[in-house]
Amino acid sequence: MRHFLLFGLAIAGAGAAQAQDPRLEGRLDPTTQAAVTGVLDSARAAGLPTEPIVDKVLEGMTKRANPDRIVAAVRTLSTDLRSARAALGPGAPEGDVIAGASALRAGANTETLERISGVRRKAGLSVPLAVLSDLVARGVPVDTAATVILHLAQGGATDADYTGLERGVARDIGAGAPPGAAAAIRARVAVTEGQGNGNGPPPGVPGKSPREPRATPARP
Amino acid sequence: MHDDHDELISRVVDELRAPVALDPAFDARVMAAVRRAAPGRWRLALRWWTEPRPFRLSPLTGLASAAALVGLVVLGARAFEPGQAGGAASTAPGVIVASKEGGSEVVQFVLVAPQASTVAVVGDFNDWDPDRTPLHATAGGGVWSVNLPLRPGPHQYAFVVDGKDWRPDPGAPRAVTDDFGAPNSVIIVGGKST
Repeated sequence: MRHFLLFGLAIAGAGAAQAQDPRLEGRLDPTTQAAVTGVLDSARAAGLPTEPIVDKVLEGMTKRANPDRIVAAVRTLSTDLRSARAALGPGAPEGDVIAGASALRAGANTETLERISGVRRKAGLSVPLAVLSDLVARGVPVDTAATVILHLAQGGATDADYTGLERGVARDIGAGAPPGAAAAIRARVAVTEGQGNGNGPPPGVPGKSPREPRATPARP
Repeated sequence: MHDDHDELISRVVDELRAPVALDPAFDARVMAAVRRAAPGRWRLALRWWTEPRPFRLSPLTGLASAAALVGLVVLGARAFEPGQAGGAASTAPGVIVASKEGGSEVVQFVLVAPQASTVAVVGDFNDWDPDRTPLHATAGGGVWSVNLPLRPGPHQYAFVVDGKDWRPDPGAPRAVTDDFGAPNSVIIVGGKST
């Protein structure tokens, strides 16, 4: 019986040691430490990525944020990660889940994530979802940004196409174009170029059918 | 009769030879007018460009010139398209993806801060540690930069000026979330084909 208890304590201790990230050791007060550890344990148990949570704590500490604010931020992030994982599916890579959580914070809804994931799962969602968040940050209405990202995904856009879109929209906005119009026009151009490169056009174009994401770069 | 004629001529000559009294400021006024009227070098150059002049051109030469002009315009427009600029693809004025190193891309962070004594970049790539990635001032001072290999994907970051002043990158979009009252910037590294 005694050995059994010792074994149980050893297992519990190992679990606690695993929950404690070395980068956080001794840097938080006990109350905050306990709260953060709870969030990390919960995320780990749910199969969620814990690195963004640790990263959020580090950011808060470096910015000398109030401990309550740090705990609130990591709880919100954990909730977003959980929602993103639910929308993208249990097998979604960590990078996609993290980008999905960021897109949710930007205002996208889980249905948008599901639709983009349904079209582009094999090609990866990290870059398109990051570009979605980026467009919203630049002032593109979230509905427009989501539509543009989905439209490109259905057209078989590559990561390079998305980053090219982001750069083009940034340039247009810098030149004075309304963010929503800039995103819509750039997306149309990107899809048109995709057609010229042999990619399928997006659904909705009469007489055409969508194709799988291509495996070759749109541009060098 | 002849004497009368000579006398008349003599009087006219005397009259013409008599000195004429001029206003003392006359010379000055004349010279001022001359100087004012004389066009300068730049005025002459401008006149050379703006004055219409006829010139002769064969139809073949005219067509060739027009074609060359159209070609220059098209090439110029393509040079300003995203991803066409050659070696360095700029994602933002403050962030330049310079080259690739293994699976990472070397990113140059730049901040113009003439009054700063120290500048560092912090982000999710260095655990938000202000001591880990200092920027270096250029010889002239004021422009701070550092090259950093980053993994593909989105990254959040900010600059720390003089150890206490948090600044987002003025040339990059801000992160949609600002949990701690000091906004971050976002860079998407990669864009590799899938």
